[in-house]
Amino acid sequence: MNAQILALALFDGLSYAALVFMVAVGLTLIFGVLRVLNVAHGSFFAMGAYTTASVGSAIFAAGFAPWLAFPLMAVSAILIGVLVGGTVEKLLLSRIYEMEDVLQILVTFAVFMMLEDVQRLIWGVQPLFESTAVNLLGTIEVFGIVYTKYQLLFLPAVAASVLILLRLGLRHTLTGHLILAVTEDREAAISIGIDAQKVYLVTFIVGASLAAFGGALASATTSVIPGMGADMIVLSFAVVATAGFGQIEGAAIAAVLIGLGRSFAVYFYPELEVLMPYLIMFVVLLIRPNGLFAPVEARKI
Amino acid sequence: MLEFEKITVSLGGVRILRDVSFRIAQSDTIALIGANGAGKTTTLRTVMGHVKSTGDIRFDGKLLSDVPPAKRSGLGIGYAPEDRKLFSAFTVEENILLPGKVARYSASEMARALARVYEILPELKEMAGRPAGSVSGGQGKMVALGRALMVGKRLLMLDEPFQGLAAALARRYAEALRDLRDRDPEVTLIITESNPSLLERFTDTALVIERGEISERALKVKPVEA
Repeated sequence: MNAQILALALFDGLSYAALVFMVAVGLTLIFGVLRVLNVAHGSFFAMGAYTTASVGSAIFAAGFAPWLAFPLMAVSAILIGVLVGGTVEKLLLSRIYEMEDVLQILVTFAVFMMLEDVQRLIWGVQPLFESTAVNLLGTIEVFGIVYTKYQLLFLPAVAASVLILLRLGLRHTLTGHLILAVTEDREAAISIGIDAQKVYLVTFIVGASLAAFGGALASATTSVIPGMGADMIVLSFAVVATAGFGQIEGAAIAAVLIGLGRSFAVYFYPELEVLMPYLIMFVVLLIRPNGLFAPVEARKI
Repeated sequence: MLEFEKITVSLGGVRILRDVSFRIAQSDTIALIGANGAGKTTTLRTVMGHVKSTGDIRFDGKLLSDVPPAKRSGLGIGYAPEDRKLFSAFTVEENILLPGKVARYSASEMARALARVYEILPELKEMAGRPAGSVSGGQGKMVALGRALMVGKRLLMLDEPFQGLAAALARRYAEALRDLRDRDPEVTLIITESNPSLLERFTDTALVIERGEISERALKVKPVEA
């Protein structure tokens, strides 16, 4: 019995960590390159979920094949990333990079508030639920617990693939090299001909698409409701701060840490559920103020 | 080939350059001399477009204000900043190749450009595979010069290259510059330095910058046979 609950907490924690990672890694990527803490990131998550759930409901009601649920997630994510993310960067953020950090956060916060209303305008306030993808993969029994393959296997596998692809992409493609160069030193990058503005735009679109993809993945397992973006952005801030800003692998480990912490709290100390992620962050930052994986900064003098 | 006309630059409310005007002809080797804080680095950063300036800068007759900063290296301007600014995520060779990749050199162009860099700076070949973050300060200056050479076919701007260089390395660096001079006589060189005596060996023309003002070709350092 106890082992079952333990396993349940572990599985829940891992699949939750996978979703949080998708959002947190985009957030940390954007921060690493643009040096902007993007509060609107939660909106991309929510809009990815809404798009997938609403389009999914419509096409499956019209009799399209259920396997389309998977490509639909990717298409929705890219659509939101390019259209909404690209517009936000191009129209707003690109004008304020030289300004103070506080102002940048306020601008992305304003974007977040506007996008919350845009969601209500488009999708209303009724919960949407579309779980074709989960049903399609079926269930699996582990230690006598029946679990959905979607949550137990698919979500962690997707998150791990995203992590590996992201690392390979940064290391082995020209776009990746440009992103790394601009991250390390914008002025030196421009001096050798790198169009930093374009790199910013591409990075923001990739980051926004990852968040939207997280939302698309989440939409199959939970009701899509107003406010889900706010919950997610707060949680992924905790993950990013715990890992250290700009740390991609660190975000994965911190997401697992916080995902597990939260789900163990759910099963063993339910009253701590909401508090747990912040408790972990608090303890980590007390010991390592720059986060678990932040490099030691070389002092200039 | 490079003309400053009444250039004024202010950074954080402080005027760094005032009404600076000068002209540099093609193939010149120019020492930009001045004390720390005089505005040498700002002059170079202004050419690269990293600071806002008023006035006109012309490069090969073309107004640089019409060229976005990221496109200026494409005009053939190579810039080696004082603090080297290598990309530690890459190896030494990847650092050198990056400007060529950005400029979308063909494979043969790339091979030719890299061969030129290694001919002028053979020591870079030995450390090609090392992570750029692991090389010493002096070696880093060599790498930064190599990287600037990849694109700097018309103009090379070197910011305090001898600063903090051990004597042997400084000699090697100077030798490499003379080698470059012999090989590509048409390249224009601007080298900043706070100590003019270091540059006497391979330049005969100096611009002196004092409190943000440049005295035009004020100093004629005597050429000394190398």
